[in-house]
Amino acid sequence: MVNVKKGVLVTSDPAFRQLLIHLDDSRQLGSKFIVRELDDTHLFIEKEIVPSLESKVEQIMENMNPETNDNK
Amino acid sequence: MATKDRKRRGKWDTFKSDEAQSSSGAGGSDKDTAAAVPKAASHNLNADNTSSVMVDEFGAKDYRKDMPLKGDFTARPLWVAPDGHIFLESFSPVYKHARDFLIAISEPVCRPQHIHEYQLTAYSLYAAVSVGLQTKDIIEYLERLSKSQLPKGVITFIQMCTVSYGKVKLVLKHNRYFVESRHSDVMQKLLKDTVIQSCILDDRVQPAQQTNEPAQEKIKFSHGNEKDISEKDGGDAADGNVPADIDEFYGKIDGDDEEDAEIRNLQLLTFEIKQETIETVQRRCIELEYPLLAEYDFRNDTMNPNLGIDLKPSTTLRPYQEKSLRKMFGNSRARSGVIVLPCGAGKTLVGVTAVTTVNKRCLVLANSNVSVEQWRAQFKLWSTIQDKQLVRFTREAKDPAPSGADATKPVVCISTYSMVAYSGRRTLQAEEAMKFIEKQEWGLLLLDEVHTIPAKMFRRVLTIVQAHCKLGLTATLVREDDKITDLNFLIGPKIYEANWMELQKAGHIAKVQCAEVWCPMTSAFYSYYLRFFIRYPLNLNIFFRSQIARKLLLAVMNPNKFRICQFLIKFHERRNDKIIVFSDNVFALKRYAIEMQKPFLYGETSQNERMKILQNFQYNPRVNTIFVSKVADTSFDLPEANVLIQISAHGGSRRQEAQRLGRILRAKKHSTDQFNAFFYSLVSQDTVEMGYSRKRQRFLVNQGYAYKVVNKLPGMESEDLKLATKESQLQLLSQVLATSDADAEEEDIKEELADGTIRIARREATMASMSGGQGAQYHAKAKAITERHPLFKRFRQ
Repeated sequence: MVNVKKGVLVTSDPAFRQLLIHLDDSRQLGSKFIVRELDDTHLFIEKEIVPSLESKVEQIMENMNPETNDNK
Repeated sequence: MATKDRKRRGKWDTFKSDEAQSSSGAGGSDKDTAAAVPKAASHNLNADNTSSVMVDEFGAKDYRKDMPLKGDFTARPLWVAPDGHIFLESFSPVYKHARDFLIAISEPVCRPQHIHEYQLTAYSLYAAVSVGLQTKDIIEYLERLSKSQLPKGVITFIQMCTVSYGKVKLVLKHNRYFVESRHSDVMQKLLKDTVIQSCILDDRVQPAQQTNEPAQEKIKFSHGNEKDISEKDGGDAADGNVPADIDEFYGKIDGDDEEDAEIRNLQLLTFEIKQETIETVQRRCIELEYPLLAEYDFRNDTMNPNLGIDLKPSTTLRPYQEKSLRKMFGNSRARSGVIVLPCGAGKTLVGVTAVTTVNKRCLVLANSNVSVEQWRAQFKLWSTIQDKQLVRFTREAKDPAPSGADATKPVVCISTYSMVAYSGRRTLQAEEAMKFIEKQEWGLLLLDEVHTIPAKMFRRVLTIVQAHCKLGLTATLVREDDKITDLNFLIGPKIYEANWMELQKAGHIAKVQCAEVWCPMTSAFYSYYLRFFIRYPLNLNIFFRSQIARKLLLAVMNPNKFRICQFLIKFHERRNDKIIVFSDNVFALKRYAIEMQKPFLYGETSQNERMKILQNFQYNPRVNTIFVSKVADTSFDLPEANVLIQISAHGGSRRQEAQRLGRILRAKKHSTDQFNAFFYSLVSQDTVEMGYSRKRQRFLVNQGYAYKVVNKLPGMESEDLKLATKESQLQLLSQVLATSDADAEEEDIKEELADGTIRIARREATMASMSGGQGAQYHAKAKAITERHPLFKRFRQ
């Protein structure tokens, strides 16, 4: 039987890929979303997750720079 | 400084209770307590008239309506905004005129290449008055320099802040205290006050008596005075389009701080006060809103013997050093204050010159044993001082305090802050030395790296040391906790601040290329980095903090960072550069250094070994690189070093960044137009280091430095570097993960003995202190590291 899944190819640097894998493992978005880890810089992820993933990543990036936010 | 408190002398056991009620005036200074800060100081401009101003999306304010331009605005260099910010065009022909004036009356905020920003504050105006500027001069000159009419708010602000300052002086002459003023109305007011009446010598209320002004001999510094002035004149003649009024005024302002002729013609009114009531008078005068400016008439001080030293004939002062000293010894008296010069610009020489000028007993306080040695060497280098006139008093090197016949002879004593402030039991020898320090009446108290002293410790020093005049020296008058303004009232106003960029252009300090090198995290390290908490909760408990420390350690140990560091070291060693690598993290420090087989130096390294390493670094051509922890942040004089690599740092501390840069700022011998010093800050990408790095750079950016961001270093592939393989990287990772816990424990036990920032993980602290937000704590800690006094800790409690 053939399973068809719509997905998105993500190209990123190794560090960011690691962040995505971390999010996937810890199920912070409610479920796993990585379909397949392709190589060092590419991931194949589910299409539905993209909007919530984007906002999550935004939030994480802001948290990484606590000071720059404080000063705003 | 003429502010003494004889009653309190020697009562140093009562100190703690004094300190508890901070308004009790525990120190020797009138500006010493919160209550003693004049009311006007709390005013600021911002509150007044910002409401009606348009603010655009970037936060820029639109003042077009409020600031109509003058007809000849192109010839005038200043924009004075209603909120007290002043913008100066550095390309204007009258830049030079405006700059000196602005430095006198306002705080430099940001000084990049073309437009400089200054801010008027109550403190800066206080400083302006204390160096002799008059209210109406300030307003008039500002008006002439400004492109537009001065905003009304600014004028009232200046008046409010200056009108009562500087009118009355407390002068110590012939060892008697005089209150002195040229303003009869003020004098009348003081004389009518009952509190002050009771303090006047000879209880009969004497009418203010007139004294003959002693002929003012101007103090000359050895060289270059005339040359300097003629140079200026030549310069002025060159630029033709200087509006006449500005030029004429410049002479007046620059004619140092001699008081106005008009004011001079007023009678000089004085009355003498009882010595034991000094403090009462000072406090009362502040209440009356006429704070006393303290001056030390050292020429007429006959009680304290002269030191009899001078600068060596070969010693030459640079123009800016001379200028700063001229401000300090303005009217042939010494006034207390802070001189701000970049690291490596010769602060020590300024200090030595001040000592030779005052020529009385002098106490120099530095913040580490190494810098005590350096001060001693500098004294010998620049001045004609003899060995027996120099007394060191540190934990490691105690010269015996002069006794017997020598006891009354004047000396220069060099010690550390923590040594003097130390409140516990001492050895017999130290006890004697302390008694010696307490007993003396010091002509000058010289405070090195004055920004590092926490106010508490400083007050303590002031209760012990009786000094007529205090001079603070620093490069970075910034603190994350904004307590820096306290210094204005603890020591005195800022007398002089140099512009880094101009010194760099003139070749007095090295030309530095700053670079921020982004090191990508390897995926293995990053995945572990992420496993620790991503978010930073505001209330950090111990668990969270240890997590963060682990994160930081992972970021520092990033193999890519290691490789880049090694590459840079190899690259610069081939150019015969001398390299210092800074790491706050001791674990990383050791790892890096051992891996690359370089000497390293940190808190636990003994004094002997330190000296050995430093000497090898200076003179041994085979030792070109050393690794140091933050013990070397300040006052380590390493003139040879010209490359600095920073692999880990203390959160977002701006001061640390600037101080570190200072290690390589000393002017290099072969100076060309090219950059001759390099400052690399290695930052792991996508980690919290990025944010900190940005914050740290703010101070230097404000001084006009530009950071270059480097993503990729060419030639890295062809270099033979360690940690090239995945296996070796993973091995390092496992080591980091395995050791960090034990390491943190280890550092924790030796809290006051060891350096090591892993310890941050165990400290009760807030996020602010992690980022350098609580400067006071950080200084205290740094002190503990260099001095390691068990009782110092007790003092801090």
